[in-house]
Amino acid sequence: MSTRKWYLTLVLALALIVSACGPAQTPAPTQPPAPQATQPPPRTEPPPATPEPAILRIGWSGAPDSLNPAAGLLSEAYTIYELTYDTLIGLDLSGKYYPELAESWEVSDDGTVWTFHLREGVKFHDGTDFTAEDMAFTIQFYKDHEEFPYLNTYTLNFEKVEATDDSTLVITLGAPIGNMESQVLFLYALPKHVWEGIAFDEAIKFENLEMIGTGPFKVVNYVRDQSIELAANTDHYLNPPKIDRVIFQTYESSDALVQALREGQADLITDVPQTTIASLKQEANITVQVGGSRSLRDIIFNVVPDDKCPAEGGVCSGHPAIKDKVVRQALAHATDKQQIIDVALLGLGTPGLSLVPRSLGDWFNSELEDYAYDVDLANKMLDDAGYKDTDGDGVREMPDGSQPLQFRFLIPSDIVTGAREGDLLKAMWAEVGVAIDVQVLEPDTVTAACCPAFDYDVLLWGWGADPDPAWLLDVLRTDNIDNGFSETGYSNPVYDQLFVDQSTAVDHEARKAIIWEMQKIALEDVPYIIPYYQNNVMAYRSDKFTGYVYVEGGLLSLDDPLSLSNVEPVR
Amino acid sequence: MSLGEGEYLVVRGGALALALSSKGNMNMGRRGYVLRKVAGSLLTIFIVLLINFFLFRVIPGDPAKAGLKDPRVRPEMIEAQRIRFGLDKPVINCFKGQMVFEASLCAVNPFDTQLFIYIGNLFKGDLGISYDQKRPVADILRERIGNTVILLLGAELFAIILGSLLGLVAGWKRKTRLDTSALIFSLTAWSLPTFWLGILMFMLGSSAFGLPVNGMRTTGLTYANFGEELADVARHWLLPSLTYAIVLLGQYMIVMRASVLEVLSEDYILTAKAKGLTNFQILKDHALKNAMLPMVTLVLLNLGFTVSGAVELERVFSWPGVGLAIVEAVARKDYPVLQGAFLVVTISVIFANLLMDLLYTYLDPRVKAE
Repeated sequence: MSTRKWYLTLVLALALIVSACGPAQTPAPTQPPAPQATQPPPRTEPPPATPEPAILRIGWSGAPDSLNPAAGLLSEAYTIYELTYDTLIGLDLSGKYYPELAESWEVSDDGTVWTFHLREGVKFHDGTDFTAEDMAFTIQFYKDHEEFPYLNTYTLNFEKVEATDDSTLVITLGAPIGNMESQVLFLYALPKHVWEGIAFDEAIKFENLEMIGTGPFKVVNYVRDQSIELAANTDHYLNPPKIDRVIFQTYESSDALVQALREGQADLITDVPQTTIASLKQEANITVQVGGSRSLRDIIFNVVPDDKCPAEGGVCSGHPAIKDKVVRQALAHATDKQQIIDVALLGLGTPGLSLVPRSLGDWFNSELEDYAYDVDLANKMLDDAGYKDTDGDGVREMPDGSQPLQFRFLIPSDIVTGAREGDLLKAMWAEVGVAIDVQVLEPDTVTAACCPAFDYDVLLWGWGADPDPAWLLDVLRTDNIDNGFSETGYSNPVYDQLFVDQSTAVDHEARKAIIWEMQKIALEDVPYIIPYYQNNVMAYRSDKFTGYVYVEGGLLSLDDPLSLSNVEPVR
Repeated sequence: MSLGEGEYLVVRGGALALALSSKGNMNMGRRGYVLRKVAGSLLTIFIVLLINFFLFRVIPGDPAKAGLKDPRVRPEMIEAQRIRFGLDKPVINCFKGQMVFEASLCAVNPFDTQLFIYIGNLFKGDLGISYDQKRPVADILRERIGNTVILLLGAELFAIILGSLLGLVAGWKRKTRLDTSALIFSLTAWSLPTFWLGILMFMLGSSAFGLPVNGMRTTGLTYANFGEELADVARHWLLPSLTYAIVLLGQYMIVMRASVLEVLSEDYILTAKAKGLTNFQILKDHALKNAMLPMVTLVLLNLGFTVSGAVELERVFSWPGVGLAIVEAVARKDYPVLQGAFLVVTISVIFANLLMDLLYTYLDPRVKAE
């Protein structure tokens, strides 16, 4: 090629690149219009007919795994289900049940027949009427499919469900239970005409991209793992939203998430990295809200008795010292919960006590007294029990001198602060002569070691509780040792009996007394140490939208339907 | 013995002519060469495929349990999922899992093992079903690869052209201030961690220019025409693309400069100068063409890797490309997506390598196509 042609090609290519790289003009995203700095109109004109739509943008770091309520596993999926579907009974942000699709309900004298009187005039998003027939179909649907991971478990007590007329639903139980509201709380009402035609095996695979429900919002656009856009259902019978749209956007990078809030590209973020909270609080237009959650951190001891070691898959290699209650209680005295909260969580947590989190309202046994942080007492307890440091290396040995108190401590890698907490505990327990080998592993590896293998000494993990305490207390039952649900291998026939008693106790006070008793036993025997209950932290632009609902002392969930249907643009 | 310009041109032109001629021994040798190269590439792809297949089964954890740690999930569900994913079949004969040797499985039909089912499906173009998304891997990858290529291709071209030019100038103006500053700039650019530069970019870009920090499009916008859509994507594309371009620029500039320095020390350059050619002519006709050879290698290799996506970059900017798909698949133990993505990258890189081999026989007459 000649000199000139070479030159020309080069310049053209460069020009192409530069033009593609240049910033382009863009249409402004639809936001409420900025106030005009022009002359006011000479006559009083009526306001413009159609104002700019109010779109609330929410940023989070996860994404729903499925739009099918039967198949969803992640909390993000449930956030979306709560917004697009309704249930018979709802739970408000202070922890009280309230009528949603059911206006009222009553139970028969023997406690086995529940009758729900449903609201009339409720419509699905596609305009069809919601009737008791849809609800009966829905509950039967969840009950028939054993492979539905969560929703099936809530129907285990139901023997029969039928719609006696268009607005009456009757559920017959096998035996009376004390927590009926919590069982119907997540049974999202599905439209029969959409779901009845799906083949049985296909039900869990059904993508449900349209999400036809009765909720205050309906899906208009969904890009998997990226964003989901909801429009307001202004005909909603209870919570018609004041905004037009809500968009949930996934941010892979938490730095981008916070930057988006700062720049107004997001109006609310539901995951706030701890390290940014201090600087976000200083921004004039940003409000950081810290509140309760149902999540807790637990330190799990391997206390499975030899005679209860699972026949299938049980290794049961726990250190013998851990099976001694005195050792566990001493370690509880040696754990400075406040320090863990201050250092690992930067203060964003409350000291733990019972396995039932404080946020579960009056189910939490507030009369319990925790093991005070007292290193001297812990040392004395271990000395008196015979665990002495015979070889002077700082680590105690068993009373018969056989092995040192050296424990394997496993932490799943998806706990962000896990390694830090492990370090803190290592230092704390070293002061009482107990050494731990901290290992951070893949969650699946920890599961493999945990249960039902019981091939560990101590684990660090956590739970996100249901509104009803029974589910979490179930984890200490003897019957759950073999199936892997029990992490500790704890076995106490008194506790087991109390669990059965509370499941059939219908009177609230009677049930509460039993549940409090169970927590007391669990605290005394200390198969778990609960270092803290986690806080939820969310942040929003106070200059963009207002009306977020948060109840002091309750659960922080600014993206709950009760909150989002109350939000409106700042004028 | 050194070559003068004329002789040099004759040798090159002659070799090229001979190579391109359709008559004579040279052609049979060339065809055989190409066939051998292609066969070699296919064999390499197959071996990598096998290695990938077993590699992903070494990852600890049971994919049938992916996302099912919560004990509310019944064991029947896990088993049903295992069967749906075909994980109940033995991996290959005699081996149930990765290391678990079971004599009873040696008698199993070898075509009913995971490995053969996988290879058989590949020939049908079926890359399997994603464990996590429960839809064909091919669909997922098709969506993602397009996005990645959009992101990286512009940056690549920009970096190649600018990097080559800068390298050429720096090499020519060796030991001057221009050279030193260019060198410092490119070393810095090359050693910057991509994710760090990305974060810096979006912080500056969003606060100073109002550019979006996330994604490929603005959700909730309806586009009146293609122009608006292009503009929106371009706004999202600018920051991540620039980040990648800067890092690549450093790399290309340094390689080009080193190559240019080596070429400029050759005798024929001295001859060209002695004959009175201008600097521009020397650079253009002699130095550039010869210095480009190592660049071609680097460029083609990099282009081959383009489909693997810039993982860090896509993660920082939430750009829905292949890199992000790989990260998500690793976290969710989604073997089929990982296998599919790695297969695509393998084919792409090996194809680029093949192209490079063949291209070299045209570009560099010293390399014979035998």
